[in-house]
Amino acid sequence: MENLVYIALFAPLVGSIFAAFYGMSPKNIITGIVTSALLFVSFVASAILLNHVMTVGPIHVRMMDWIMAGDMLIPFGFIVDQVSVTMMTMVTLISTIIHIYSNGYMEHDKGFNRFFSYLSLFVFSMLILVMSDNFLGLFIGWEGVGVCSWLLIGFWYHKPDVTRDINPSISPSWAANEAFIMNRIADLGMLVGIFLIYWNLGTLQYDEVFASVGPLENDLVFWIGITLFIGAMGKSAQFPLHTWLADAMEGPTPVSALIHAATMVTAGVYLVIRANPIYDLIPDVGYLIAVVGTFVAIFAASMALVNRDLKRIIAYSTLSQLGYMFAAAGLGAYWVALFHLVAHAFFKSLLFLGAGNVMHAMNDQLDIFKMGGLKKVMRWTYLYMGVASLTLAGIWPLAGFFSKDTILEVAFNEHTYGIWFILWITAGLTAFYSFRQVFLTFHGTQRYDDADAHPHEVQKYVLIALIPLATLAVIFGGFMDTFKTFTTTLLPAYEMSEHTHHIAWMLIAVTSAIAISGIIFAYLRYGKGLKRNEKLENSLPYRVLSNQYYIPILYDKVFSKPYASLSKFSWQVVDQRIVDATVDGIGGIIKSTGDNTRRMQTGNLSDYLKWMAAGALLLVAIAFLAFKLTQGAN
Amino acid sequence: MENILSILVFFPLVAGLLGFLVDKNSIRVYGIAVASIEFILSLWLWMLFDTSNAGFQFVEMIPLVPDFGISYYVAVDGISLFIIIMATLMTLIGIIALNIEKNIKNLIITLLFLEVAMIGVFVSLDAIIFYLFWEFSLVPMLYIIGAWGGERRIYAAVKFFLYTFAGSLIMLIGMLYVAYVYHSVSGAWSFAITDWYALVLPFEVEKYLFWAFFIGFAIKVPMFPFHTWLPYAHGQAPTVGSVILAAVLLKMGTYGFVRFSLPMFPDASVAYIMPVAILALIMIIYTAMVAYAQEDMKQVIAYSSVSHMGVIIIGTFAMNAEGITGSIFLMLSHGIVSGALFLLVGSIYDRRHTKLMSEFGGLASVMPKYALIYGIMLMASVGLPLTIGFVGEYLSLVGFFKVSPTLTVLAGTSIILGAVYMLTLYKRTFFGPVTNDANKKLMDLDGKELTALVPLVAIVIWLGIYPKPVLVPIDNSVKALTSFMHEKAHTPKAKATILVSKTTREVK
Amino acid sequence: MIGLSHYLILSAILFSIGLVGVLRRRNLLMLFFATEIMLNAANIAFAAISSHYNDLSGQMFAFFIVAVAASEVAVGLGLLIVLHKKYGTLDLDNFTVMKG
Repeated sequence: MENLVYIALFAPLVGSIFAAFYGMSPKNIITGIVTSALLFVSFVASAILLNHVMTVGPIHVRMMDWIMAGDMLIPFGFIVDQVSVTMMTMVTLISTIIHIYSNGYMEHDKGFNRFFSYLSLFVFSMLILVMSDNFLGLFIGWEGVGVCSWLLIGFWYHKPDVTRDINPSISPSWAANEAFIMNRIADLGMLVGIFLIYWNLGTLQYDEVFASVGPLENDLVFWIGITLFIGAMGKSAQFPLHTWLADAMEGPTPVSALIHAATMVTAGVYLVIRANPIYDLIPDVGYLIAVVGTFVAIFAASMALVNRDLKRIIAYSTLSQLGYMFAAAGLGAYWVALFHLVAHAFFKSLLFLGAGNVMHAMNDQLDIFKMGGLKKVMRWTYLYMGVASLTLAGIWPLAGFFSKDTILEVAFNEHTYGIWFILWITAGLTAFYSFRQVFLTFHGTQRYDDADAHPHEVQKYVLIALIPLATLAVIFGGFMDTFKTFTTTLLPAYEMSEHTHHIAWMLIAVTSAIAISGIIFAYLRYGKGLKRNEKLENSLPYRVLSNQYYIPILYDKVFSKPYASLSKFSWQVVDQRIVDATVDGIGGIIKSTGDNTRRMQTGNLSDYLKWMAAGALLLVAIAFLAFKLTQGAN
Repeated sequence: MENILSILVFFPLVAGLLGFLVDKNSIRVYGIAVASIEFILSLWLWMLFDTSNAGFQFVEMIPLVPDFGISYYVAVDGISLFIIIMATLMTLIGIIALNIEKNIKNLIITLLFLEVAMIGVFVSLDAIIFYLFWEFSLVPMLYIIGAWGGERRIYAAVKFFLYTFAGSLIMLIGMLYVAYVYHSVSGAWSFAITDWYALVLPFEVEKYLFWAFFIGFAIKVPMFPFHTWLPYAHGQAPTVGSVILAAVLLKMGTYGFVRFSLPMFPDASVAYIMPVAILALIMIIYTAMVAYAQEDMKQVIAYSSVSHMGVIIIGTFAMNAEGITGSIFLMLSHGIVSGALFLLVGSIYDRRHTKLMSEFGGLASVMPKYALIYGIMLMASVGLPLTIGFVGEYLSLVGFFKVSPTLTVLAGTSIILGAVYMLTLYKRTFFGPVTNDANKKLMDLDGKELTALVPLVAIVIWLGIYPKPVLVPIDNSVKALTSFMHEKAHTPKAKATILVSKTTREVK
Repeated sequence: MIGLSHYLILSAILFSIGLVGVLRRRNLLMLFFATEIMLNAANIAFAAISSHYNDLSGQMFAFFIVAVAASEVAVGLGLLIVLHKKYGTLDLDNFTVMKG
């Protein structure tokens, strides 16, 4: 079984290195095939491990030592337990499909080989993240996915910066840097959490940490919880570190699917789930997490309501769903959060890949106001995106219904009615914006110019590859009970109270009602085509929402610009005019002293003699004074 | 091989003198051969080195002036061993990558003399010998900057020389005073550092001596506010000069802290953690900002060096094995990474004769290999896990966290600010469309440059994934150092701050 | 009665005369004379103090100075002659090659 762990982990790395050897040569289809095949191998290994963990139990392997200094010893160790094997199976399954999909999507890109190298490396980083048995190993993956996202968001690095009304200027490379730096800010928080754990518990291994964290002072646990959550906020793009996620849409669409479904943003939720013994000790922090999650859920949903960019709408929906996951995890229902994470991964990747099809068909047009009527030409994509949107909206009996509804029940069960209410409203908004997008894209009349695009369905094998995702998005809800028994052998079992059980059907009814009315409202508004309302579009709330609450501009004005001018000030004024000028000033004083005293050196002997006489006189005077003074002292 | 250290020190000297006889056309081959032999010798030293022994090894002691206790006294331990190997490696790489035709014979001979001085500093255990090598290292560098530098080379060279020289004179006074105190306590003269270690000084004396040594080392590091010679020296120096300056010469300062300040003045070192750490913090944050404002690629890397040296200082003054081991490892990783970055800047300067970022853009599509290696070094520089840069940075910060969590969080901003200036540099240089016509036909890295850079890339990844063979010997010596400091310290604060670790490890 | 202080006053006067000569005169030959006066002022002081304390080492020093002064004059005058041959003058203001 140990070998299977290594196969599952390193197969993507092997693929990545293989593709890297072709990195600078023209497109070679073999890179796409080999990396996809190795990913599939990794998936099969993960599936076998899943079965093994289900029937036998977790596996813990230790590969080798990594860092040792003082009393610290950090190994490369990997744990395959209920949580990580779930993540592994999900990640490898989705990544395999995305790899296959990319073979078609990137067909004409000249960076084809390079793309697959990065993509597999991304998966490898995520696997390290979920499989590691200690916090620093997790941090390797944590930073690794950061770098891979940097490489992939900036994949089309050759594009120039474009000024847009909502952003100072944006290009793939700009978005890539933004993502990396935002993540780094959060990583510092995480690193501090790791330091705290090390100096207070003397180890970073999960099992030892979780076993000994209990007796620790509550204040310390509080700070550990907070700092780790700060790390999670960056990776999972929670407010206020959320702007990078929407800008990351500059990358190729398969990358967006990967980031959103499998390999990056879920890492934050994973961390909170993994560290559940820590968060169980500090319910206050858990509540804070839930509040942040709830806020982000509605905050992101509100921005998705008015956005015209197909991919950005989906990006905001991810943000919103991550909010749901954090709400569940924060309230202590870790397995529910994990369940929503997995269900979300299936339908979100489907949604993105469908959006990729649309984008391809529309010649990279992303404005849904300029689409319409695509269902005639793209029947399969329409079907996929329709199913995914229904799941996202939480319609029975699709996967999203079960996971989202359970989260709402948890909120109700915890008597946090505020959270419940906001999440309930968000469910309605979610249904509305996802169907606004579906209707504007596929229904109504054609709003694009025939000269711009000739929409067509994508390759057959790409469509076939998406079938597993669509199927899982539909049926995964049925596995909820199995999932619960499986994961709660490791995670705390969360049970609803009698009362909640009693009124569960009412909650379901209310939630379904608001979701369905969201869809109906979207249909009334957009089902027959686009009817633009100038007055509404110019109103203040609409403008605030479509400008993302002006947060990108605010960040630019409050952080980027002042930092740049402060840097310039530090360099040109402090460094050059003060520090260096002082040094040169001291040098200058010595030099000018020499320059001035040089005049004594007239070359005339009698002048020298005068100086000598004066000097002798001075010495006599000093000797005399010293004599007098010592006399006086005695 | 009893006297391998002497061979290591004097082989380049003899080879350099013989170099005057070598023909101008074959001097490059000669230089590479000598530097390779020296590098292999240093690897051999590592082979012979007993990694489980934390003390000094390969000790050689020849009295020179017995009346004053001055002797030729050299030895290595885990702390100095790897810095020596790095010095020989970087000299070799620097000579391989050499791209200068003017007076090449003088340049190569100067580099060999510089190597003598560098290795001499790291093996000396006699303060006078140490001081001689320390000062001697200034001369070749003065010549390299002054003769092969850019437009303002004379200003830069003189500033470099006078500034560091002034600092080391203060250090010399400190050394003489220690020897005087040693004489008045024991009745015999000795300049052997190991003898000085045994000297327990009252805090009042330690205090002044600590600052005397501090100034000498701080200017060399260079610490804020003594850093302004560095951007000029780097800005004007030829590529090989910058490589060796950043990789090895700066490490002499931080090495001095570990070799002299910590074991000789443990109480003062602990007492002044805060002022030193605050200076280091200013270095980290302020120079990172200054680096961000630069327009010249080489200056960005020069200022980033200062910023990283701040993290090294923080680690050194953590007063526990985690931090000090980390800081020594970071010295190595910074040497490799900044050396490689300077080589990379040198490559583009050779092609375009400019280092201004605004002249470039979109290089990734024109020079993919160059962009790849630059990217790897950039990631190592910002401390990505599984590259060499992470191990040292992480350990330094984790060590100092024990001393002051707040300051560590501030120092940790280096991982953010480092990413900010480095990624901005990369974006401005490599990303975007190729706008400047002059860049459209640039050649990618040639064989010579790849020979110099690929080994560094390999080391960056190897020591990032498997740092154990290097970390364990360093760690063993550092643990001996911390327990010695703990024994020696007599103020309660120092006793409490200096941690002794119990774990011992071996390289298998 | 002529005491020690009279001799010392004489010596001081002579020394001052010599000093003024050294500082004021421009001719190198005159400078030489002035230095000789100063040396002899010192000699007088030495001899006087020596006899006052009945210690012969002072007078010994005086002789020593006389001997040194003589040899100095021999070398110095030789140099002066060379100078005069070369520049045709002994005026100090003309010799400023060492001007900084």
